[in-house]
Amino acid sequence: MKSIILNRRAALGAGAMLALGAYSARAQSKLPPITIVINQSPWFASFRQTVELYEKETGAKVNLDVNPFAGSLEKQRNSVRAASGQYDVLIMNSGWFAEMYAGGFVEAITDIDPGFKLDKDVYTLGDTVYYDPAKKVMTPAGKLMSMPISPLIPLLYYRGDLYKRDGLKTPETFAELEANARKLHSPPKMFGIVQRGARGPHTVAYDFYPYLYGHGGGIFKDQAAADYSVTLNDEKGRAALDYYIRLAREAGHPKTAAFDQTEVIQQMVTGQAGHIMMVIAAWSQMDDPTKSAVVDKVEFAPTPHVAGVPTSPGLGHWLGGISKNVPDDRKRAAVEFFRWFQTAQAQTASAKLGAIPISAAAYRDPISEERRFRWMKPMADSLKHAVNIYQFPEASEVIAILELGLNRAIAGEITSVAALNGMADEIHAVMAKHNYKTGKAAPLK
Amino acid sequence: MTDAVSAGGGESAREDAVWRWLMLAPAGLLLALFSVLPVVNLFALSFLNITWKDGRSTMSAAGLAHYLALPADNLFRAGLANTLVFALFAVLGQLLLGFFLALLTSRIRRGAILYRTIFILPILIPGIVIGAIWKLMYNPDFGLINQTFGLVGLGPFDWLKSADTALMSVIIVDVWHWTPFCFLLFLAGLESLPQDVYEAAELDGATWLQELLYVTLPMMAPTILVTMAFRLIVAFKVFDEVYLLTSGGPGTSTEVISFTIYQRFFTEDRAGYGSAMSVVVIFITALLLVLALAARRRRESAT
Repeated sequence: MKSIILNRRAALGAGAMLALGAYSARAQSKLPPITIVINQSPWFASFRQTVELYEKETGAKVNLDVNPFAGSLEKQRNSVRAASGQYDVLIMNSGWFAEMYAGGFVEAITDIDPGFKLDKDVYTLGDTVYYDPAKKVMTPAGKLMSMPISPLIPLLYYRGDLYKRDGLKTPETFAELEANARKLHSPPKMFGIVQRGARGPHTVAYDFYPYLYGHGGGIFKDQAAADYSVTLNDEKGRAALDYYIRLAREAGHPKTAAFDQTEVIQQMVTGQAGHIMMVIAAWSQMDDPTKSAVVDKVEFAPTPHVAGVPTSPGLGHWLGGISKNVPDDRKRAAVEFFRWFQTAQAQTASAKLGAIPISAAAYRDPISEERRFRWMKPMADSLKHAVNIYQFPEASEVIAILELGLNRAIAGEITSVAALNGMADEIHAVMAKHNYKTGKAAPLK
Repeated sequence: MTDAVSAGGGESAREDAVWRWLMLAPAGLLLALFSVLPVVNLFALSFLNITWKDGRSTMSAAGLAHYLALPADNLFRAGLANTLVFALFAVLGQLLLGFFLALLTSRIRRGAILYRTIFILPILIPGIVIGAIWKLMYNPDFGLINQTFGLVGLGPFDWLKSADTALMSVIIVDVWHWTPFCFLLFLAGLESLPQDVYEAAELDGATWLQELLYVTLPMMAPTILVTMAFRLIVAFKVFDEVYLLTSGGPGTSTEVISFTIYQRFFTEDRAGYGSAMSVVVIFITALLLVLALAARRRRESAT
């Protein structure tokens, strides 16, 4: 048995560490309880367990107010616009965090605690954690406004067992994906690909982003340069939408226009889909024997793209912001939670609980080599190409336009050209109404 | 003396009027506070734009812009058209079924209470439970409806996810949900009809159909009109069934006007525009009520 010898200095050091630890735990336990408003998503269970771990380790108390996607936004708006806020931490989606920044509803973390530093391994996700209110842009020159909570982007999920059976190669381009999807397509038992084409708060638009940006297209010319000229209805946009619809009609599910996330995941876990492009948060359901008929059969890859364009998953991430209109002690307690949450240990632990880590440290951890975490490598490869779709607070108006136009095109109510031209006109009107520098391309014919 | 009496009577009438208004005033004030004021506020908001900066709201005049933008709004147009179709077919179905069930129940002497209880059950079920029940019923994999069709070799059909059947499916749910309301009103109406008219018709040798067409229906017309007006107004406000079953899709096939307002006002946070849309819907609903009341008045004056 190996003996441990303590000299006087080591003993003093250990004593000091213990005392510090005890003080830290005592200091944490004195923190007031905080309330986090959050949505019910596939990744929520792992977040809840991570919060429980925080409570156990520190003695702090965290209350979670869990809501549907749209309900969470509504509660956040009501809270931040009141004289005194109900929620200390707002879990904000990529579709609305800009609204919270620009509206002045979120307090910069470094304004609450000037000593707070974002860990160097934490992904800044298109620098969306920063905001410069004077220039209205998201750059590291701005203030640290939020902490990444879930760095969600879509990945391609595919049936590895069927790929092996048919000798298929993991698709990198859209052409390869289409060929493989057609090969596996055998309805009604197996659909080559199942897409999320339903209209919702941020549903079909989010599903379409990897297609649009992976074709080299985009909604606006250059958001970083504040040029909001609408480019949605250019040839790249048309190629992307035509591809999406062709895939749905010829190698996809006939009810694509009505399928939301639940149905798409359901098709995959019941073994009826060859491919899905789905937010990575759903990975744990694939290998859960109580929910899945395809345990250990699903593989992951970055979303496809055309030659010369990198994989371009749209950020559908979640950020944690601290409300401006809550008492200072609760703000500080929220900062303490963030301080703990961003550590490599907390992130690795949360990954083991099923969460998607926000820290590169967790992706370097040996767990990423384990079979059940096989999504980590493609995730790390994709994160550096993730696209921040919206940088302005009126994003919800643009999303609503996309949701309707895309859904109608997929449902066959209107042609892709009519949909793209119509959406471009409406988005242009929105940007002009809010006094952004904008313009529009000649309509597609 | 006569003059004195008359003067005294006039004074008493004036006093009565004063007291009448005084007694009514609290209720009137409450009504103004809780009913009229919010609508006035909504109307005022429909001419404004609201933006948020530094945690504070800023209002700016929008003039008629919100109202002028409505005709070009695809979702508003689809919502209005679908709501009209929905209200028309759902109310027609409810009136026919409700009347038929009431007619049958009014003739039952034994077990009438049991039938009444069974027929009114759907109206007692909360909307969210109705959504769950019918989502299961319409399920293409294990839903009761598809299983029934499967017995004769048909289907499965994805009722809620096909643009061809989604609106019809939601209408069926609404008919199921609200027929008991019509049933109850019709049953009360039928049971209050004077029996001597029926006895006279019987003596004259009227058949069952003649009795229905020339006795029951004319006498029930006011009840039918009022029920139809109530139901039309409520059907025009449909939201929960659409939200729970289809969320307005696929495409715009089940988009209804309340759902459009919800999206524009709440999801997109466009309070001014959403208010303008709401004002238009309030106007249309009020118009329906006025038309129904006018039809009733015309009928009453004709008889």
